[in-house]
Amino acid sequence: MAASAIDDVDLVLRTMAKTIVDNAVYFAELDSVVGDGDFGYSLRNGFEVVVSDYDTFDRSSVGAVLKKVGFVLSGKVGGVSGPIWGTAFLRASQAAGDKTELTGADVIAILRAAVAGIMHRGGASLGEKTLLDALVPAIDTLEAELARPEAVQDHGSAALQEAADVAVRAAEGTKPMLAMRGRAAYTGERSIGSVDAGATAVGVILQSISAAWREKYE
Amino acid sequence: MKKFVNDPRQFVPEMLEGIYLASDGRLKYEPKYNLIYRADMPQANKVSIIQGSGSGHEPAHTMIVGKGMLDAACPGDVFAGPPVEFVYETTKLLNSPKGVLHLVNNYTGDRLAFEQGREMCEADGIKVETLLVNDDVAVKDSTWTVGRRGVAGNFFVIKAVGAASEKGASLEELVRIGNDVIANVRTLGIALSSCTPPVKGSPLFEIADDEMEVGIGIHGEPGRQRTKLVSATEIVDIFLNAVVPDLPFKSGDEVALMINGLGGTTIGELYLLYGIAHKKLAAQGIKVFRSYVNEYCTSLEMAGASLTLLKVNEEIKGLLNEPAEVSIRVF
Repeated sequence: MAASAIDDVDLVLRTMAKTIVDNAVYFAELDSVVGDGDFGYSLRNGFEVVVSDYDTFDRSSVGAVLKKVGFVLSGKVGGVSGPIWGTAFLRASQAAGDKTELTGADVIAILRAAVAGIMHRGGASLGEKTLLDALVPAIDTLEAELARPEAVQDHGSAALQEAADVAVRAAEGTKPMLAMRGRAAYTGERSIGSVDAGATAVGVILQSISAAWREKYE
Repeated sequence: MKKFVNDPRQFVPEMLEGIYLASDGRLKYEPKYNLIYRADMPQANKVSIIQGSGSGHEPAHTMIVGKGMLDAACPGDVFAGPPVEFVYETTKLLNSPKGVLHLVNNYTGDRLAFEQGREMCEADGIKVETLLVNDDVAVKDSTWTVGRRGVAGNFFVIKAVGAASEKGASLEELVRIGNDVIANVRTLGIALSSCTPPVKGSPLFEIADDEMEVGIGIHGEPGRQRTKLVSATEIVDIFLNAVVPDLPFKSGDEVALMINGLGGTTIGELYLLYGIAHKKLAAQGIKVFRSYVNEYCTSLEMAGASLTLLKVNEEIKGLLNEPAEVSIRVF
């Protein structure tokens, strides 16, 4: 993938924030099947500030803007989502540092740092019916697809779409899993048969980002 | 949804403003952090006791801020733990030279917010200790969950450490007392109906008119078992068969017995359950030292009840008998 500038990061973060705000009710519905239904609304409390105040954020570097988003989420989002998503953005910010251009490898390193932050804060691993079950396979796919020579020509569009599709399928794949983290875990075997709300959200967010990306680069 | 509400997203702030205005100056309110705290706190010679948790469990925890109980509560939205920033700012504001005690019901979100908030406070040099309340017997503890949930038994932890802190107990002493209560308190909840968070606008789950949910969490998380509704006496048997053997409570033990309403059950029904439970415990040789029948920790308008037993020793009995003043329910 060609080098990516701050305005690509803007596109990704704005799209992500708008998608979360637009889907708050849907995500909360998914969460109420086995959780307590706060997930979508909690995230919205933070991401609606990202939507409304984005123009005022320090965007002097990729690390600076990711850090700002992390602070907003830690400050505004309650429940499990605030510490988890806040930590993800703060770790991503540390990995991005003062870069203003990103290679494909940089993007993967930033995403992997976010995953490590989520695992650290929430204590979850793969296969425990969490957002990691969609996010990690999507990052694996993105990394593999970006390594293909074609990825340079389309600015990573096909790779991103493939990663988004993998995330959606992986989210669907959380259905038979037994929830082991968060409030869904209390329901034990009754958590089997419904998708994980966080994993589904990752799929929805990546599809939106991919659509916005293709609109820009295709 | 049929509730007294304006903009559903302003439900919590508008409720907190009501609590503040009704307190006749005994409480202060900081809207930025959903923070309700005692107007006479912090004090140099008393540990400050703080609870966060989600809203929707009233009177827990914003309505039990007062002398001998909590010094501050900074809840999140309905059924969502507070953001880290609320915990950090509340702790800074209530900081006392004797330290600050965080009471946390054992849910992932509450734990994460208070862990991160505590780290930030300690970096500022504030002395903080944490008590994790986990009295719900419906949840099997294991290595991969965060363990049992904290539910209505939380009241006894607050009452004990609140009373001890008024008498000047150190932070370390409060941790010991709190953990002693936590080790001896057990709860089971049963729901007869669902509940509707104002922002969601529809019930969290469906339950038929002739069904009950055994082992319900206080956020409407489904319990372990959905069964047909049975008689009150059989329900007390379900409560006691789950709670008594768990500690276990034995013949000769003295206990505090709490029948807690989940928000939509009449106090008459709660006393009906209490009477049956009291007699059944007596038949097992378990003596009720003190009774608690009311709403202590609710799930909005959910119909249902929980039964809590606390095994008491002389120290805990003394602390439960100490006076406490909260600004609601003063006659």
